[in-house]
Amino acid sequence: MIVDIGLIALTIAFAFSLYATFTSVYGGWRGRPAWVESARNASLLVFLLLTVSVITVVYSLYTFDFSLAYVYDVSSRSMSPFLRVTALWGGQQGSVLFWAWLMAAFVGAVLVRKWERDRELMPYVIFVSMLTTTFFVGVVLFITNPFTRLWHVSGADELIQAIFQPANSMLYLAEDGNGLNPLLRHFGMIGHPPTTYLGFTGFVIPFAFAIAALITGKSRGDEWIRTTRRWTLVAWIFLSIGLILGGRWAYDVLGWGGFWGWDPIENAMLMPWLTGTAFLHSVMMTEKRGMMKKWNMVLIILTYSLSLFGTFITRTGVISSVHAFSKSALGPAFFAFIGFTFIGSVSLLYLRWDTLKSEHSLESFISRESAYVLQNMLFLAITFAVFWGTVFPLISELVTGTKITVGPPYFKSATGPLFLILVFLMGIAPLLAWRKQAVRALGKAIWIPFVFSLGIAAIAGYLHRMHPASIFGLWLVAFVLSSILAEFWKGIQARHATRGENPLTALMHLISRNHRRYGGYIIHLGVILIALGVIGDAYYKQETQGTVLAGESLSIGGYRLQFEGLRGYNGSDGREIVEAVTTLYQGNQLIRQIIPRRDYFTVQQQNATVPGVYSTPGMDFYVLLIGWDQGKSASFKIYINSLINWIWIGGLVMIFGTIIAAWSNPGQREATYVLKPEAVTPHLLPQES
Amino acid sequence: MTELQKDESEFQKPKPSTHPKAGLILTFAIVLALLGLLAWGLKKAQAGPVEKGMAPGFTITGYDGKTITLSELRGKVVIINFWASWCPPCREEAAYLEQTWRKYDGKGVIFIGVDWVDTEKEALAYIKEFDITYINGPDIGTRIAQAYNIKGVPETFFVAKNGELRGVHIGPLKSPQLDDKIEELLSEQYP
Repeated sequence: MIVDIGLIALTIAFAFSLYATFTSVYGGWRGRPAWVESARNASLLVFLLLTVSVITVVYSLYTFDFSLAYVYDVSSRSMSPFLRVTALWGGQQGSVLFWAWLMAAFVGAVLVRKWERDRELMPYVIFVSMLTTTFFVGVVLFITNPFTRLWHVSGADELIQAIFQPANSMLYLAEDGNGLNPLLRHFGMIGHPPTTYLGFTGFVIPFAFAIAALITGKSRGDEWIRTTRRWTLVAWIFLSIGLILGGRWAYDVLGWGGFWGWDPIENAMLMPWLTGTAFLHSVMMTEKRGMMKKWNMVLIILTYSLSLFGTFITRTGVISSVHAFSKSALGPAFFAFIGFTFIGSVSLLYLRWDTLKSEHSLESFISRESAYVLQNMLFLAITFAVFWGTVFPLISELVTGTKITVGPPYFKSATGPLFLILVFLMGIAPLLAWRKQAVRALGKAIWIPFVFSLGIAAIAGYLHRMHPASIFGLWLVAFVLSSILAEFWKGIQARHATRGENPLTALMHLISRNHRRYGGYIIHLGVILIALGVIGDAYYKQETQGTVLAGESLSIGGYRLQFEGLRGYNGSDGREIVEAVTTLYQGNQLIRQIIPRRDYFTVQQQNATVPGVYSTPGMDFYVLLIGWDQGKSASFKIYINSLINWIWIGGLVMIFGTIIAAWSNPGQREATYVLKPEAVTPHLLPQES
Repeated sequence: MTELQKDESEFQKPKPSTHPKAGLILTFAIVLALLGLLAWGLKKAQAGPVEKGMAPGFTITGYDGKTITLSELRGKVVIINFWASWCPPCREEAAYLEQTWRKYDGKGVIFIGVDWVDTEKEALAYIKEFDITYINGPDIGTRIAQAYNIKGVPETFFVAKNGELRGVHIGPLKSPQLDDKIEELLSEQYP
């Protein structure tokens, strides 16, 4: 009964989204506001109907309705209520429904908030975003429907999955379900899908506005950019959180001591993040100088296309990934949708290329503008390197007949240097003046951070003589970090001098006076902390492994891990746990107990290796229990992951910075940061469009 | 220094009349080539494993250095198992495979383990862990996997005495699936 409500709501949602797609474009084309209004109402209704569908699935998961194939697959009686609810995105059917629902939510929010503001763009914003929504709702309804039931046909060996009752069949009601894949029962994997989906679907909004601007010819102006700036920031930060949570999950669960493996699925997420980050920066040039309009269009189209592309290659099995993703019948439909999106966007871009002219030209090589151009190029180059490595197996198979997979070494050597330049640019660019930077003034601004960072590099060089590249990396991190902090310091000094505020008040006022600027700096600080973690992981990682009897020890990097014994017991959600009790010593000083373990999930017959970790700001002492012999000996793998925690800390700093940057400055219009009129010579003033 | 300037000024001054024709053609060519590549990949991905006809021939060299060629095994039932050390479901079936192999060893049945996209060290540890005694070798250049068009691991192909494929099992084998299939294929007549 409940399930029927969900299914009916889903069906009507599909009809309404189809309706909204066509009425909006017709209304826009013929200039009929009533049609557009109707499309808007239909779009809002789609969100409500999908909400009903989502609630139905969650309710079925919560109440163990194992007659549904989806519930049977991802839920089980031993799972906690919380896990059962999050199983909404634990499998494909639920994920796609959840995805469609989030997208409808974004569209609904835009239609409620921005309705009065961009009336001319709205018909096409609805068209683009509802076309996408229609596609996803259609996929849920026709291809991977979460309301599919399990049926037992008399005489047949296997169960049949169907929405409606097949002939000669009875509803099959299982006693218990398979349960969520044990590897996914971790906070990272519970938070990763929703944040990632929010990121991907969130980029629909700027994309829809961009396409609407192209269709209407409003791409000449930059209203669409002002309207979508905050939406883009929200999408971007969720994608960033998704990436970090995914990395944290891999680090905690997959048991190989790392957080990023350059797997196609990870790359699929990284590519839209790279172009999205470039887009976030690039739009500022348009806002402030009326430049780089072409870049913005290209970047947002790329970002959206790459997120579709990534979903496509990983979900349809075109590029095999070590992540066990269910292969599905999504392929042809998804392919048609991608083809339409790619060709449609490129054609529009071509037709409106002339509307995207810059209002100013680049005046000097050393200026804020040129730094923006350079950063866009770097982001694109990195994206291309990642893209090439990701599709290379496919290309090599087409050309030579042999599937060649390029591994992490390719990605590291191709993107590493580019990332380094990008980080350097991050330290310098915010100091550069618009239009033209006097070299002498620049030197004056950076000499203190520069000398300071050289000092840090000298100390690092003395301590880590065996890794010359890492010394360079540490210098860079120290330089950028200190130049960002210097910016804060200068602002505080100025307020202190002119208003006599104490440093803390001055800092608070500084940030609250200019959210975007200082929010941006804080995000940059987060990025630098992440870079520090990556350097630690790349150069200072140590590892060892060995088999020891109780009482014996393994030593690594000044630490000694003593194995005390094994113990086993049954866990709460159907797992059998074997733990190794070990004690960590530094020299002769006891630090603490570390308990790595191996969980065996009896229903799924699957193992999960849970590391035991001693965590400090400087490093993680990371212990894996990889095997044992009847209670006598145990085998361990030990990693010292230097600086790795700065990755997670940096992630938190980035989130904090984004919240500040997205917060609107009270009483200030968005256009506050246009160059001061007196600084602009008359012929450079932006023309009214 | 002029490099960047030039780039940017080229970027912003396309004369209204001269659409960037070459650029346009190039862009569309790239988009279409990419779509073509994806279509081809999708077609392959959708085709599914080879199930009928003669089993594609191959020669594999095991980790123990012994070599075996499929076409020389006529008259015997051949079980080809694709696996990898990093694959959890493979672990589920490993013990059952080895046990079944020991049961039929010397009774006209050959097992071949094809190790797909793996590293030797881990693969050898896996073989040792499950005490696997039938031939196991790396699929160099994934040529065998491509001939059989596997989607993932584990996948097990059944080859009749006359060299024809008699089906494939995707996912881990559970007792008595493999015994049943072997008995069925052993009962076939071969001159």
